[in-house]
Amino acid sequence: MSDTSIKLDILTPMGAIRDGIDVPGVEVPGVLGELGVLPRHEALITAIVPGVLRFREGATAVRMAVGSGFLEVKEAGRVIILCDRAALPEDVDRAAVTKRLAEVKAALEQDKGPIDAGEHRALVDERGWLEAQLRLVAN
Amino acid sequence: MANLKELRNRIGSVKNTRKITAAMSQIASARLKKAQDAVTAAKPYGDRMREVVESLVGGIDEAERAAAHPLLATRPVKRELLLVLTADRGLCGGFNSNIARAVLAWIHQRNRENVQVEVVAIGKKAVAALRAAKIPLRATHDAPNLVTLVELSKVVIADAISAFTAPADQRVDAVRLFFNEFVSVLTQKVKNDVLVPLAPGENAARGREPTYEPSRQAILEHLVALAIEARLQQAMFNSIAAEIAARRVAMDAATDNATDVIADLTLVYNRERQAAITKELMEIIGGAESLKG
Repeated sequence: MSDTSIKLDILTPMGAIRDGIDVPGVEVPGVLGELGVLPRHEALITAIVPGVLRFREGATAVRMAVGSGFLEVKEAGRVIILCDRAALPEDVDRAAVTKRLAEVKAALEQDKGPIDAGEHRALVDERGWLEAQLRLVAN
Repeated sequence: MANLKELRNRIGSVKNTRKITAAMSQIASARLKKAQDAVTAAKPYGDRMREVVESLVGGIDEAERAAAHPLLATRPVKRELLLVLTADRGLCGGFNSNIARAVLAWIHQRNRENVQVEVVAIGKKAVAALRAAKIPLRATHDAPNLVTLVELSKVVIADAISAFTAPADQRVDAVRLFFNEFVSVLTQKVKNDVLVPLAPGENAARGREPTYEPSRQAILEHLVALAIEARLQQAMFNSIAAEIAARRVAMDAATDNATDVIADLTLVYNRERQAAITKELMEIIGGAESLKG
């Protein structure tokens, strides 16, 4: 285990976005708020919600929007992030996302069904994902 | 001679068919690599998701699972939701018909057991086959491709979860998925898997437990739906690769068959042509002979 870096995997259904790269730390949108993981972190599993993920890769700071998933810290200094969607700033089509967000918000207003219905959850999840993408390209 | 002309046309048309099947086989070969890569790329996500959820669920006593998360509740099956995953297009051997046959046999058996069945068809071929068998469909979707796959899986699973958690008189007690598993380029296997309730694996709860933040319960809450989606996504990746592989094999076989047919027809054509020439010669010689006499 290295004291100065952790090995980071970012996995999505469409493939690995990052595979075992060395980073000094990573910040993720945890279910309880922003969460930073540094080397020598204890073994942990926590849920992540749609938001912006940050880490440094060499000299460049990388930001990416992620969907729901979880973060797993293994004791061997390995961090695995599983998320169902991920996008880098250059992947985000701001006009399309804004349009879809308006549609999803309208659908949520119309949706008078139970709050734990599958469709409602899916809409809330998509709203989070779209907002995360907009936040990613906001500045 | 009419017969000769017919044969010539026939050979020409089979040659055209062979061109089409050979082209389709080549297209399938080119796409197969990409689809296979997608299956491989998706695997770590699916595997890791399954392992974590299994270890989470495995730590809970069987009797308490239903209380821990509604999607873990095992109930006697009185009504079942079937998700049927095929392709949008045919010309891929038994790919679509194998699924249709398996599903119809399953529905038949369930009817005899007095289990009601609801069906969601994914892929135009599934829709067509089930409509032809007069099976009412709860919903229909087009087949996934590598772009629409994640969104489609979310829509389908949202609907399935609603069906599973509906009030007791309308809800389904299990969600089952029929799809083609990509075993190798030459083989696809029809599989049916129970997606909901989510079953824990055998290799649950081993080694030191990590810290769960905020709690095991909260993570479970968050992950169960994602894990079910992940299983459908894996199946979709498999189905896409299996479809292309099946199409390539079918089109290769069709190209070979066309070559055989052309060889047979050419043989017949040459024989007929020779016979016609011989007959004409005989007539000419016969005519000359009769003039002499």
